[in-house]
Amino acid sequence: MNSIAEFLANKLSKRQVVDGSHTEGWAVCNRFPHAVVSPDNETQVAQILSLASAEGWVCVPSGKGTWLKGGHPPKAVDVVINMANMDHVSAYEPDDLFITTETGLGLDILSRYALDRGQWLPFDPPGVKGGSIGATISTASAGSLQAGFGRPRDHILGVTLATGDGRLLRLGGKVVKNVAGFDLLKLAIGSWGTLGVLTSVTVRLHPAPVLDRTLLFQGTDVSSAARLANAISRSRASFAAVEMITSGEQEDKGIYSLPFVAVRILEPLPVAEEITRIICEQVHATPFMCLEGKDSQLIFDDIQTMENNAEMVLRLSLLPSKLSNLVERTKELRELVDPNVDRGIRMAAHASTGVLRIMIARLNRRKGWLEMLASSLSNLRYLLESEGGSMVISQGPPEIVEIVGARGKLGSVTELMRGLQKEFDPSSILAPERIIG
Amino acid sequence: MPGSLAKSLEKKLKSIVGETGVILDRDRLLAYESDGLTAYRSLPMAVVFPRDTIEVSKVLGLLSKEDIPVVPRGAGTGLSGGALADDRSVMVATSLMNRILTIDSDNRIALVQPGVINADLTEAVSPFGLYYPPDPSSQSACTLGGNVAENSGGPHCLKYGVTSRYVIGITVVTYDGTISRFGGFGRELGGYDIVGLFVGSEGCFGIATEIEVCLLPKPEGAQTLLAIFDRLEDAGKAVTTIIADGLLPAALEIIDGPTIKAVEESIYAGGYPTDAEAALVIEFDGIKAGLSADIERTTVHCREANARDISTAESEKEREVLWQGRKKAFGAMGRIAPDLLVQDATVPRSTLPDVLRRISEIGQSYKLVVANVFHAGDGNLHPNILFDRSDPDEVERVELASKEIMAVCVEAGGTITGEHGVGLDKLSYMSLVHSREELEAMQVVKRVFDPKGNMNPGKVIPDLSEDFS
Repeated sequence: MNSIAEFLANKLSKRQVVDGSHTEGWAVCNRFPHAVVSPDNETQVAQILSLASAEGWVCVPSGKGTWLKGGHPPKAVDVVINMANMDHVSAYEPDDLFITTETGLGLDILSRYALDRGQWLPFDPPGVKGGSIGATISTASAGSLQAGFGRPRDHILGVTLATGDGRLLRLGGKVVKNVAGFDLLKLAIGSWGTLGVLTSVTVRLHPAPVLDRTLLFQGTDVSSAARLANAISRSRASFAAVEMITSGEQEDKGIYSLPFVAVRILEPLPVAEEITRIICEQVHATPFMCLEGKDSQLIFDDIQTMENNAEMVLRLSLLPSKLSNLVERTKELRELVDPNVDRGIRMAAHASTGVLRIMIARLNRRKGWLEMLASSLSNLRYLLESEGGSMVISQGPPEIVEIVGARGKLGSVTELMRGLQKEFDPSSILAPERIIG
Repeated sequence: MPGSLAKSLEKKLKSIVGETGVILDRDRLLAYESDGLTAYRSLPMAVVFPRDTIEVSKVLGLLSKEDIPVVPRGAGTGLSGGALADDRSVMVATSLMNRILTIDSDNRIALVQPGVINADLTEAVSPFGLYYPPDPSSQSACTLGGNVAENSGGPHCLKYGVTSRYVIGITVVTYDGTISRFGGFGRELGGYDIVGLFVGSEGCFGIATEIEVCLLPKPEGAQTLLAIFDRLEDAGKAVTTIIADGLLPAALEIIDGPTIKAVEESIYAGGYPTDAEAALVIEFDGIKAGLSADIERTTVHCREANARDISTAESEKEREVLWQGRKKAFGAMGRIAPDLLVQDATVPRSTLPDVLRRISEIGQSYKLVVANVFHAGDGNLHPNILFDRSDPDEVERVELASKEIMAVCVEAGGTITGEHGVGLDKLSYMSLVHSREELEAMQVVKRVFDPKGNMNPGKVIPDLSEDFS
C-alpha cells in the first residue's frame, strides 16, 4: 500500500481502502487517485476529511462514479471518497412525502423504493439511470422533468454536509418551508463536492403519476422542430417535459431520421386528453405518435441516457425563444465529429429552459484537432455569452476541457465564490477548481 | 455620533438621491420605527430612498466609508422585526425603486426593481396570461425585494413553491457599494448558487436592486371547497389524508374557532359558522377537466375526518367569499385584542393533529387566547397569541407560551420559521434548530458578503459569544 492508503487503512480498516491497480476506474478526468476510501458512516467521512485537511490530500467524493469524467479537471487527486457503502434509507414518511437516505443510494433504487409505495421522485438527471442521489444533488443535474417539476434544489429539504475540515453541518430539515437562517442548503446543492461531502439527504417525494403519455411531433428540419418545441413550451397546457431531439444527420435511420419533439404528460386521463387537445390546437400540429405507459417512459429514458458513451457532451443555452438560433449555431461543430461513426452527433433540447445538449460520439482526431476544437469551442462560448447565454463542457477529453474550461469565466464574482469555498474548506482539499475554475 | 447624521454626510446623501430622498426629522421617522411586528420598535438615524442600482451603490459606498450600519426595507410588512434599525443605523428604503423594467412574455420572465409590489407584478403580466405565483397574505402591499429577503411563501405555495423557486437572477449591491450580478435565465454559469443563497438572507448580505423572476401561465380554472369541523384535530387529520392520498391542492388552509369568531364579527364576515372549531379552505387549480375529480376525492377525505359541512364555490364571487375568512383573518384579530404575536413554525404534516392539540393546551395553561390560521398543507403554522402589551403579567405569559409552542414544533420534527424569517424575533430560538457550528457557518458566509458585519446587523444569527446550549 502507498503511504496515503496505509494511513487511511490504519485509521479506518483495510477493507475500506484500496490503492494501486484497484483504483483504475476511479480516475477523475484522467487523474488517478492514490487511494479510494469507502466510509461506512458520516463520522468516518468527517474523519477522512479532517485527516486530509491536516495532510493536504486532495479529495473528490464519488457516488457511483458516473460524474468522475465531468466538470473541470482537478489539478490533482489524492483520495476518492467512494460513498457506495452509505446507501441506507434512514427515514421514510409516506404521509409527509419525504424520505431521508444516505447519499450513496442509487437513484434507480430510491425510485423503486418510492414507487412501491405509490410515490415518486421527479429526478431524471442525464447519464446512467443508476447514478447516486448524492451525485445528482452535488452536480445539481436536472433532466427533462425540470420543465414540469423544477430542479433538484426545489425538492431537497435537507442535507448533512461534511465540510472540508471535517465539521458535520445539518442544512435545511425535513419540512417543506424553512427559513430559519441563511439557506446554506442551496449553496451545497450544485457545489460539486467542493464545499464538503454530502452524507445524507432528505428529499421531497410526489404522488406517482397515474398516466404517462408522450406525444411525438415531427419537424421537417431542426429549426422547425426547435420552433415547434418552443411554441409547445409556451402553450398554457401543463406538461412534464418538452424535448426536441435530432440526430443532426439527415441520413440517419429510424425514429431519429428527422428531428422530432417529445411532449410528456403525467396527468390523469381526462386532464391528459385536454392537454393533448390544447397543445394540438395552439401549435396547429398533430402528433405522429402517442405513446403511453412503458412506451412513453422509454422515449424519455433514451433522452436521459443519450449522453452515455459520448466522448464529448456540451450544454449550450440561450433564452428558450432563441432555441432555433441556438441550433443554427451548432452547424460548425459537425466538422469536429468523426465521420466514421454512426449517429456521430445527437442533440436534445429542453424547450422550457433553452438548454441544448450536444452529444458527440467520437471526436475527429485529424491533424491539429486539439487546436481546432479549442478554437471552435472558445468561439462558440464567446458568441453565446455575448448574447447572454452560456456553454458548458459537461464531459470531454480533459486536455480540451483544461484549455477551454468546463464553464465560462465567473468574472467579478470569482473572489466571492473563492471566499465562500475557503470558509467550508480552509485547506482547499476539495478541488475547488472543479467549479470555480 | 449616534443618533444624528453628520451634516456633511447628509449633504452627500442628498447629492445622490435628491433633497427629498433623505428623511431625518423625528416625526417622519416614526413611520419607520417598526415593521409588521410592532412589538419591536426603534427609530433609525435616517431613511434614504435611492431610485436605482447606481444610487444604491453610491449610498452604500458612502455609508460604508463612515462605518454606518445599513438596514434595508421594502414595504415594512415583515413579521419578524427584520427591518428594524436603531439610531446608529441608516435605513435604505426601496419604495422608490418600484419599476417593472422588462416583461418578456415569450420566455415568461420579468425584471423588476425591489420596490415593486407583489400583486402589481401579477397585474402587469396578466394581459399576457401570466402571473407570479408566490402570494403572501400581504401581497397587495409587500414588495418583491422584501419577498426575496424573506423567501416569502403564501397560501398557494403548497403547489407552486416559495419565492426561491421563482427568482432566477439578481443584481446585488453589497455594503461596500460593489455591484454584482448573479444567475439569469438562459445561461448556465459556473460557481455556486448565490441566487439561492441570497434569497432569504434577510438583508444581511446586501440589497437586491434588480430581480429577475420567472412567471407561470394562469391556471385555466380553480375550484374551492370549504369544510367545517367541530374539532380542530379532525381538520388536521383531513389535511394529512388529503396529501397522503396523492392530491396536490393549490392551497390548503385552516382557520380555527377563535379566528372564525373574529372574522365573523368583523366587516370581513364570510359566513363561516361561529360555533365551529375549524374551517378548512381547499383549492385546486389547473386544467378544468381534472378539478371535479380532485374535489370529489377531497370531499370523501373531509367526510371521513368528520367534517360536519362541506360546500364548494360555484362562481368566482362565491370563491372570494370562501377565501374571505382566511385572507382577512389577521386584520380581524385586532377586534379581539390590541396586540398579536404571530408565530410561524413549520411541522411535518402528519404531526399537525398532535401539535395543534398541544398548542391548545399551552394556550389554556397560560390563560391565553391562541388563534390559529395557517398553511396546513405545508405544515406551516401561524399560532397567533392575542394579548395586551400594557399588561406586564400577560406579556410574560405570552413569552413563556411562545417558547413552549416553539419547543413543541421543533420536537415534532419542525422548524421555528417557515416564511416570516428570523429577524430579531426568533434569534433566541435559533439554537433550538441549529448547532453552534451551523450558526458559525452562517456567520462566516455573511462575512464573505459583508466583512464589517454592517448589513442589517443583529438579525438572523444570535450572539455566539453567549452560551445558548
